[in-house]
Amino acid sequence: MKTNDIILQACTKIVLFIIILFSVHMFFAGHYEPGGGFIGGLMTSGALVLLMLAFDMRTIKKILPIDYKILTAIGLLFAVGTAAGALFFNVPFLTHAFGHVDLPILGDTSLHTATLFDLGVYFVVIGVTMTIIQTIGEDGE
Amino acid sequence: MAFQISLNFFLAFTWMFLKNSYDPITFFYGFLTGLIIIFVFRRFFSARFYLKPVFAIIHLLLVFIKEVILSNVAILKIVLKPKFDMKPGIFALPIEVTKEWEILVLSSMITLTPGTLVIKVSDDNKILYIHAMDIPDVEESINDIKNSFERLIKEVSR
Repeated sequence: MKTNDIILQACTKIVLFIIILFSVHMFFAGHYEPGGGFIGGLMTSGALVLLMLAFDMRTIKKILPIDYKILTAIGLLFAVGTAAGALFFNVPFLTHAFGHVDLPILGDTSLHTATLFDLGVYFVVIGVTMTIIQTIGEDGE
Repeated sequence: MAFQISLNFFLAFTWMFLKNSYDPITFFYGFLTGLIIIFVFRRFFSARFYLKPVFAIIHLLLVFIKEVILSNVAILKIVLKPKFDMKPGIFALPIEVTKEWEILVLSSMITLTPGTLVIKVSDDNKILYIHAMDIPDVEESINDIKNSFERLIKEVSR
């Protein structure tokens, strides 16, 4: 039986972007406020799950043609690469560098390599969560 | 409408670049100037001048808040009444709005005004099935409310 989900779908189209924006804000808030890669990734996958609840799987595949296993691998590579990058500078594994960089438009910005590590965590969390949900939720078509 | 708003923002940014000062106040002046220019040339666009829908949205919001307060008072009266003499029921309301977001806003407003609750949209998006707490004496006034909401929503997207 097919029901008419017009209200849920119209709501999703608006709410999805707000959730994604909030998850990005959470990701960048990790250094000074509560937040970080893990909760940001979970919230982004929450938005994607909402998309899956409102629309069917084929539409999701068309909107986001991402293989989430590969996304997990990329996230792990980010984390390992950030950790191994320290070895090039003759400092112990997982030593992070930080400092103030003068970017062309943004001006004086404080950057930290832990953000890249966090980005790896973010990707891994999205990848793992979405892989689990897609594997469970496949309707065998 | 969306094109006019983006044009207004574009004009405001252009104003900032001309003035060579990048603060919110310059942006605001640029926005105001662009608004006046767009108002003078409003017949040049196919859509209406974009402040009209904005005012219609504000009007809709005020009417909605008024309805929420009034119907909450009505619910309070019903709750405090010692005798139970309500006749709940479900009725179909044919709607004229067609766009997705219009149906979303209309059904949300019907649901948020107490006493009525949207339970289903028909498959061709032409009929809302509404559960009402008290059918006989309310049906007329409910239809009035719905007509007012629907009329105002149509006013926004005309």
